[in-house]
Amino acid sequence: MAYSELIKDFEKIRDYMRQFYVYGFKSRDEYDAKSARSYDNERRRMESWLGEYMSFRQDDNGKIAFMSVDSQEIISNPLYKAFKAKSFTSNDIALNFFILDILSDGRGRSTGEITDIIADEYLSEFEDYKLFDESTVRNKLKEYDRLGIIRSEKEGRKLLYFRSDDDIDLESWKEAFAFFSEVDLLGVIGSFLMDKLEDNPDYITQKHHYILHALESQILLQLLTAIDEDRMIELEIFNKWKQSIRHHMVMPIKILISTQNGRSYLYGRRGKTGRFNTYRIDNIRKVKLLKDAARIDRNREAADKHLKHVWNISIRNDNRLEHVELTLKVEEWANYIVHRLRREGKHGVIEYLGDGIFKFSIDVYDASEMLPWIRTFTGRILRFECSNTEVQERFYADLELMYREYRDKDGGDKDAI
Amino acid sequence: MLFSEIYGAYFNVVADILSEAIDGTLTEKRIYEIVEKKAYGESALVIPAAIKDKEWPLITDDMQTPLVSKPDMPLTTLQKRWMKALIADPRIQLFGVDDRGLEDVKPLYSQDTIIYSDQYSDGDDFTDAEYIRRFQIILKALREKRKLRIKFVASRGRIHNWVCVPVGLEYSRKDDKFRLRVAGSRSIQNINLARMLTCELLDSYDETSVSDFVIPKAHVSLEVYNQRNALERVMLAFSHLEKETVKITNGRYLLNLTYNAEDETEILIRILSFGPMVRVIGPDSFIEIIRERLNMQRQL
Repeated sequence: MAYSELIKDFEKIRDYMRQFYVYGFKSRDEYDAKSARSYDNERRRMESWLGEYMSFRQDDNGKIAFMSVDSQEIISNPLYKAFKAKSFTSNDIALNFFILDILSDGRGRSTGEITDIIADEYLSEFEDYKLFDESTVRNKLKEYDRLGIIRSEKEGRKLLYFRSDDDIDLESWKEAFAFFSEVDLLGVIGSFLMDKLEDNPDYITQKHHYILHALESQILLQLLTAIDEDRMIELEIFNKWKQSIRHHMVMPIKILISTQNGRSYLYGRRGKTGRFNTYRIDNIRKVKLLKDAARIDRNREAADKHLKHVWNISIRNDNRLEHVELTLKVEEWANYIVHRLRREGKHGVIEYLGDGIFKFSIDVYDASEMLPWIRTFTGRILRFECSNTEVQERFYADLELMYREYRDKDGGDKDAI
Repeated sequence: MLFSEIYGAYFNVVADILSEAIDGTLTEKRIYEIVEKKAYGESALVIPAAIKDKEWPLITDDMQTPLVSKPDMPLTTLQKRWMKALIADPRIQLFGVDDRGLEDVKPLYSQDTIIYSDQYSDGDDFTDAEYIRRFQIILKALREKRKLRIKFVASRGRIHNWVCVPVGLEYSRKDDKFRLRVAGSRSIQNINLARMLTCELLDSYDETSVSDFVIPKAHVSLEVYNQRNALERVMLAFSHLEKETVKITNGRYLLNLTYNAEDETEILIRILSFGPMVRVIGPDSFIEIIRERLNMQRQL
């Protein structure tokens, strides 16, 4: 098949884009490509879409292509460009403009009328172009009716189609679009809306801006639809460790997002009565909405109660909690450390023990999930205790390794790990 | 359906081309200009030819079109439902949108479906009337390129009065806060909106007097040991920064990060959070800061 910068199936490019953006150190041979040609095509597409954001380097393994973005400086997520690269046929583009133009006077018309007008008034200028038959036009009208850009009404025996005009002042939304297109989980829809406007604002930016979630927009939309329609789903999940695909029937309940690493998870129940579980959204290959009602409302209270002791996303279903105590020595001038405990410590409790010593305690399902946060207080940790002794031992063992790594001015022990 | 050609760059570009044909201003040169401005790198190889060869029966040889009106696609149901979902977000009040026309639209999702699991709890109060008022004054200043007179509380409690040139608004989802970026004498300065006491709109400023500011950057080099899935965790955590990664051996990687110099403390604690799986190997000044922290820790 001849190369095109447009694509039919977004799933094919999703994984490549992630690897170019997140990893960006693999050479052509190291990608999980079906073929070298497959890699070449996808790399060429990404260069065409993303131009300035793609960089290259040469090393012993060959040419390395990678994507690097300072997301604090960008106005819009460059990954959205991939969502604007869907392939289409010449019929698709012709019918799009013809149908909307015919209906632009506000009058309703039947499929037959539209087909005839296209032949008489639009294609008459293009003698070599094959006329559309009525079924082709009907299918396109039905598609646009589903999308909402036209609507249908019965008039006697006839089904008439009208343009779906609305009374929305898009200009008043410009700055909101500039903001929410980058902040909202389905911000790509905001980007579609901004394409309809001129002179979009360039003065709203983001810090700690994780743009990779955009690649999951299609999956996310299906999950949100399932939750909204209260439907069970079947997930097709890729396990990269086992290199295998598994299917799970799930009751979808919430979407959990990390603001500190950009990862997103589906929180739900296995089957209708099974355990609560989380599923990484970037591992979900397909979502199938089932006809079964999920009855999410009956599970909300249990879910909220269950989520109460989650530190980030790690959960358990035996409801067993692990107790954590972190004791810090805080200098008088370092009040911001206590402020950090308050704003980041979730449902934890802070006690002042006097003499600049603060104790933070909390009960969570999985204390090991807290270790990265605990380590950010390095330099002030008097004591770290955990009812799960393995976690406590790991913390102190890791600290010892770090002492070795940075031991002396010659760089410490490079083989500490 | 999110992935559809009706949202595509090609359809948008052809809509612009058809608009110019209706205006009677379309030329072959304009076709290429529109394509280069709004489509992709290789689109100039495809779109002009498809139009010229009548593969797409939209433009005649004399640059006319059978369309009678300029193309204007109505909003899709998906777009309207997304807008309706935003109306329930407390931050929408900051932007003063006109939400008429969406009364009969069902929101795409409800706000309580989404949980930000590690967002800081001391975010700005977006429902506060004074905060909203100041935000909208700032937006007006940015839109109309006007100066501001602001009074705010700095980090050590001192109150400052400034006349400034606003250059942008920055939001952090992690902090759930907005900051106003203003042009300082040599670089961009940031002021938390929640610390602002008053904000007054002043006259326009001379754009030529505001130079292009370069935000001071700094660099750090890390060695990453890919145990406990550290590589993926590190790459994702720092994916929002400009970076370059080199594989040293199986299991060891070199990561060069570029960050805003003012964020050094934040970068430091984020590196510490990975424990021994990430080791700073340069610059020396950064290694020293880490060593100092570890020495402080060792003495406790």
